Amino acid sequence: MQRLRDRDEGAMTIFYDKYSAALYGVILRIVKKEEIAEDVLQEAMVKIWHSFPSYDADKGRLFTWVMNVCRNLAIDKIRSRQYRVGSRTQPIEESAALRQAAEPSFRPEHIGLQEMTRQLNPEQRQIVDLLYFGGFTQSEVADELNLPLGTVKTRARAAIKVLSKLIR
Amino acid sequence: MNIQEYIESGILEEYALGVLNEVERAEVERIAREHPEVARELNSIISGLDAYAQAHAITPPAEMRDRVLQNWQQAIRQPQQPAAAPLSGDGSSATPRMVASAPAPAAAPVQQEAVVRQLPTQESGSSRTRWLVAASVALLLLSGIGNFLLYNRLKQTEANLEVAQTEQSRYAATQKAALNERDQQLSVLRNEAFRAVELKGTPKAPDALARVYYNAKTKAVYVDVRNLPELPTGKQYQLWALDNGKPVDAGVLATATATGDSIQQMKDIASAQAFAMTVEDEGGVASPTLSTMTVIGNL
Repeated sequence: MQRLRDRDEGAMTIFYDKYSAALYGVILRIVKKEEIAEDVLQEAMVKIWHSFPSYDADKGRLFTWVMNVCRNLAIDKIRSRQYRVGSRTQPIEESAALRQAAEPSFRPEHIGLQEMTRQLNPEQRQIVDLLYFGGFTQSEVADELNLPLGTVKTRARAAIKVLSKLIR
Repeated sequence: MNIQEYIESGILEEYALGVLNEVERAEVERIAREHPEVARELNSIISGLDAYAQAHAITPPAEMRDRVLQNWQQAIRQPQQPAAAPLSGDGSSATPRMVASAPAPAAAPVQQEAVVRQLPTQESGSSRTRWLVAASVALLLLSGIGNFLLYNRLKQTEANLEVAQTEQSRYAATQKAALNERDQQLSVLRNEAFRAVELKGTPKAPDALARVYYNAKTKAVYVDVRNLPELPTGKQYQLWALDNGKPVDAGVLATATATGDSIQQMKDIASAQAFAMTVEDEGGVASPTLSTMTVIGNL
């Protein structure tokens, strides 16, 4: 991190080796296509490099920060892409459902994920996925799933609580 | 403030997910600073989501590593590229930024930038192509219209030229004929062999005056009218040669001759002592109507 702060370009190689799997996994989960995921990761690294001086370590972990940069870029990508191909008229349920359906196939790295999702019930998982990978707000999720906002908030809180308990 | 209620309101989750606007985010951070309980809860939420992200990790294909690192290096060496625009200050914290669709009006500029970057590169290319195609088509059409107009004008010019040439050659022919005639008349007037006979008006037409040129050798007769009264329609002047008191037809005068515009060659006369003109029916008659005699003159 100090090397990143010193604008040491070699640090980015270390950064890649350390974070690319986590970032790529989330990006791919959002954009679905490997070549687009690569583009987004590429773009995110440029962005991270240029805005690193303004990263405030006191406010949170580097992982959280870079993950959010990637997540936002990836979500923008699918939204702009949907916009470009004119599928904006597609009902949001449908697009979300599509995203839900495209579950990545089993990979060794997913053991952690499998353990995690075993702890979440399907409703909780659906909500977390919409919030985290879909970039939805809680009220958008409520609209999407046709649930009262209060229910969505309760489930989201419960789900995230499960997740944070797991890592403790 | 009821801390428990605040924690359960769901705002900390929204903060961690990055759907809050700048003002809301600052408020959450302020409250977290003031209330360790809130800070703890917030950290636990963020850690939970980070772990969830981590759980999705997929090692990218090995060949991607060099590609991404190389492209990254290229990109950061071109600081003017839009992709190189730094994140705004608020995006630099551990706080997730607003996503583009968040309903709050204060959408984070970084998000918009990310979207904007996608579109121009793609669309400027295709719009330039579209522009070029449109321009080419327009030029082609204009050139076609221009050619058509020029072709039409060329055709018209050619037609005009043809008319002018025809006109010109006809005029030349007319002029040549006229000149020949004048030359001939001039040669008559200059010829010593011709004798001029003044024909003077009879009491019927005292102002009438004409002249006859007579060549006794060649028998040629020319008439040159100075002034003759206007004729009623259907009538013509007829010239007579008087040979030993006997009238001999010398032909009728053309209108141009009668009005004095031209000298006219008449019929050949073998012998004559006087000439006279009478008014006769068009085409002439065999013997003169003496009562209509207008001019007369002796050799």
